[in-house]
Amino acid sequence: MKKYIINVAFSLILLSFVGCGKDNYDAPESTLTGRVVFQGQALQVRGTDERVRLQLYQDGYAKRDPIEVFVGQDGSFSAKLFDGHYKLVTRDGNGPWVNSRDTTEVELRGTTSVDLEVTPYFTIANPSISLDGNMMNTSFTINQVVETAEIDRVILLLNSTSFVDDGFNVMRREFTSNINIGSNSLSADFSEEDKAMNAKTLFGRICVWTKGADQGIYSPVVRLR
Amino acid sequence: MKTRYFYTTLLAFSLLTSSCSDFLEQQPDTILTNDQVYSDPNLIKSVLANFYERISYGQRPGGEGYDFTRLDDAIRYDFDQVNQFDRNRWRVYDYELVRNINQFLQGLNETTVMTDTEKAPLIGEARLIRAWYYFNSCRSLGGMPIVGDEVFEYTPGTDVTNLQVPRATESEMYDYIINECHEIADMMSAEKTTNSARANKWTAKMLEARAALYAASLAKYNNQMAAPIKTPGGEVGIAADKANDYYQKALEAAQEVIQQGPYVLQDRKPEDKARNFYEAVCIKDANTEVIWARDYIFPGQTHQFTKDNLPTVLAQDANSSYLSVLLNLVEEFEPINTATPGQGSKFNVGSFDGTPTFYETADALFKERDPRLGGTVIYPGAFFAGTEIVYQAGQLNFENGQWIKKQGNANDRDNQGNLITSQNGPVYNSSLRLVNKTGFGIRKFLDETPQSGTIGRGSEMWEPRFRIAEAYLIAAEAAFELNEGSNAVTVENINAVRTRAGVQPLKTVTFENIVHERRVEFAFEDHRYWDMLRWRRAHTTWAGRGSEAASRRGLWPYRVVAPDNSNNGKWAFQEQDMSFIYPNALSFELRHYYSELDNSWLNNNPKLVKNPYQ
Repeated sequence: MKKYIINVAFSLILLSFVGCGKDNYDAPESTLTGRVVFQGQALQVRGTDERVRLQLYQDGYAKRDPIEVFVGQDGSFSAKLFDGHYKLVTRDGNGPWVNSRDTTEVELRGTTSVDLEVTPYFTIANPSISLDGNMMNTSFTINQVVETAEIDRVILLLNSTSFVDDGFNVMRREFTSNINIGSNSLSADFSEEDKAMNAKTLFGRICVWTKGADQGIYSPVVRLR
Repeated sequence: MKTRYFYTTLLAFSLLTSSCSDFLEQQPDTILTNDQVYSDPNLIKSVLANFYERISYGQRPGGEGYDFTRLDDAIRYDFDQVNQFDRNRWRVYDYELVRNINQFLQGLNETTVMTDTEKAPLIGEARLIRAWYYFNSCRSLGGMPIVGDEVFEYTPGTDVTNLQVPRATESEMYDYIINECHEIADMMSAEKTTNSARANKWTAKMLEARAALYAASLAKYNNQMAAPIKTPGGEVGIAADKANDYYQKALEAAQEVIQQGPYVLQDRKPEDKARNFYEAVCIKDANTEVIWARDYIFPGQTHQFTKDNLPTVLAQDANSSYLSVLLNLVEEFEPINTATPGQGSKFNVGSFDGTPTFYETADALFKERDPRLGGTVIYPGAFFAGTEIVYQAGQLNFENGQWIKKQGNANDRDNQGNLITSQNGPVYNSSLRLVNKTGFGIRKFLDETPQSGTIGRGSEMWEPRFRIAEAYLIAAEAAFELNEGSNAVTVENINAVRTRAGVQPLKTVTFENIVHERRVEFAFEDHRYWDMLRWRRAHTTWAGRGSEAASRRGLWPYRVVAPDNSNNGKWAFQEQDMSFIYPNALSFELRHYYSELDNSWLNNNPKLVKNPYQ
C-alpha cells in the first residue's frame, strides 16, 4: 500500500514537470506609448468611458479587427503589444479634431513612442480657473484652427475627482452665447449644486465643443480646492 | 484444419454478401426532404410559421423587459448605473433568415402540388417577412447587403469572393423594401387575419408607408445636421432631394390603407375613452385596430410581461412592478381642456415648502388628462382588473404650521394604523425590488386574464407591429412635410387619431404636434427610439446632465394625515428626481445613431465598410 502511494505521488510529481510549458504564447512585452498632438502640444480630451479611441491595425493576418487604444484625458495613450509593424489611425468621426484617417506607421521594437498629429477645430490657450466662494471664474483664449468650424457651446466643469469631463462632473454649465474667438471670461455660480458645494476637493476644466463634433476639446485639469 | 478455415471464410463471405436487403434501410423520420416539404400545404405553412417566430425585434412585451427602460419612458425597480446608450442593443443582422426565406421561395416555385394562385399569397408573406427583416436591419445599421432571391451554394473550390456581397446604400435598401412591399401587396389577401398574426396586403402597405417615411425623414433631417452622418459610399446617408419623393410614397401607401383597408380606429366606448384605447391596443377579440401583430397563444406561446409588471398588490407570482413609468412620459399627455392642444404640460402641484395643491382623490389630477394616459399607464388610484391600485410614497403631516412629509418602507403604518407608504410603492430605496419607484405603473400590454401573471401559464398578450392609427399619423406627417401644417390632409388625419383618443382637434399642425402625438399614441410600441433617430432629435433631446428631457423624473403621491386640518385625507404630489436609482441622465451621442458592424462580419466579408464613428 505504501509503495502504491509512493508510486502515485512520484508519477504526479513527474507529470507536473512535463505538463507545463508549451501551450501558451508569452504575454506581449513591448509597449507603445504616445500622445495625440497638434503642433507638438498634447491635446486635452475626455478620458473616461473610452470615449476617445485610436485604432491599431496589423497587416498580414486573416482577421482585420482593430486593436482599440484608449486616449487618456491628457492626450496620452499606451498599449502592450507584440513587436511588429502597426498602422495607427484615429477612429472615424471620433475626437475634437478634423476627421482625417491618415495612417501613421509604427515600427514597434521593445518600447516605442509615437506622436499622432491631428488638426483640432479649436484650441484653448492660457486657461485660468479659480474659485471664489460658490463662483467658478475662468478666463481663456479660444484659437480657431479650422476656418469653417463653429463653436456649438462652451462648458465649465467641476468634479470632486481629477477626472473631469462632459460625462463625469458634479457641476456642469453650458454657454452658447457671448463666446468669442480670442479671449473669453466666463463664470458659473454653483450654489445650487449640492454635490459641488459639499465636495472636499474640486477640480475644474473648460470644454469647447465644435458644432457637429462628437467630442469637445478641454483645458488641462486644475485643482481648485 | 484446412476445411475449418474454408468454412469460416465461406461463412464470413456469405454473411457479408447476404446482408444487403432493404430490411435495415429506413427513411430518416426526423429530416424531411425538400420534395416532401413542398408537396404538402400544411408543411409549407409550418415552414412559414417558423419564419414568423424569428422576426420579433426591439422593445416588445415578449422580449426583454430591460429594453423598455433604455429611454425616457420607464425605468426598472433596481439601481441602474447606465450612463450611455448601447448603439448595438437593437441591431438586427440575420442573413440565415434571408437564406431560409430564399430557399423557401425557391422550393415553393418548383413545387407542383399547388397552383400559382395558391402560391401567390404564400410567396407574398415570405417576401413581406424578408422585407420586414431588411427594414429592421436598415434602421439600425443603414444599408446592408441585399441578396435578392438568390440561394447561394458553396462547394469546395468555389471562389468565395462571389459570395461576398457589398453593402447597399441606405436609399437603395429603402427602395428595395418599398418596391418589394409594393409588388407583393396585390399578391396577398386583403382579408383580415386571425388575431392579425399573419401578414396580409395591408401589412405590406403599412411597411411600405413606414419605410418610405423613415427614408424621407432621414433624407430631410440628416442633412440639416451640423455634420450629416454619412459614409462616402452612401451606406449611411440619403440625399436631401429624395425626401419629397419618399414622403409622397408614404402618403399614398398610408392613404390606401385608410381608405380601402378593412381596419378602423376602434372607438366603441365613448363614455370611457381610456378603456377604449386600452382595448384597441391590447384586446384581440373583435379588434378593428391592429393590422399585424406577433400573437401569443396558451399553451406553448406565452410570455412573462404581465408576471413581471403587475402592481405588487396584484402579484400572482414571484415578480411584480418591474417597470415604473416616468413622469417625462406621463406629463406629455395633454390636459383635455387645455388652451394649447397638441402638447404636453407639467402638473401644477404646488410646493410642500409653500402651499401644496390638494386633491380630493388620488386620480383627480390624471383624469383631466388625455384619456390615452389611463389606457397606457396605471396612475395612483386607477383600477386594474377591478382592484384599485394605491400608490402612496408617504404621509403629509401638518406640524407647527408646516407641511412635513413622512416616508416609510413598503406597507409601513403609523401608530394609529394609517398607511404611510403603500406596498405598491413608490419607495425611496434604490435597492428594494418588486415595488414601484415613480408613482406610475405600466398598463399597456398588461394582461387582465386570470393566471396570466403566473410563470406556469404566462400571458397571451400580443405585440402589435402595425395598427391603423399609424397609417393616420404617417399620412399626417408626410402631408405636413410636403404641404406645411395647415393642409387639410394633415389636419384631418391627425385629428382622426386625436378625436378617437378623446382630446381636442387641432386647427393647424406643427412638427412638434406630430412628435407629441406619436409619443403618446405609440408609447411602449417600439416607435419612440426610431422616431427620435430618424428625426435626428435624439442627441439634442437626450443631451445628458443639465437637460430636463434627459433626466428621469417621477411624481410621488402623499396622503394628507392631519386630523385637525381641512385637507385631511386629501392627496398632494411632489416631483421626485429619479437620480437616487438612475444617477446618470440620458446621454445620446452622435455615434449612437447607427449600430456598429461586428468585426466578425467584417472579417468574413472584406467588402463591407464600417459605419460612421466606428
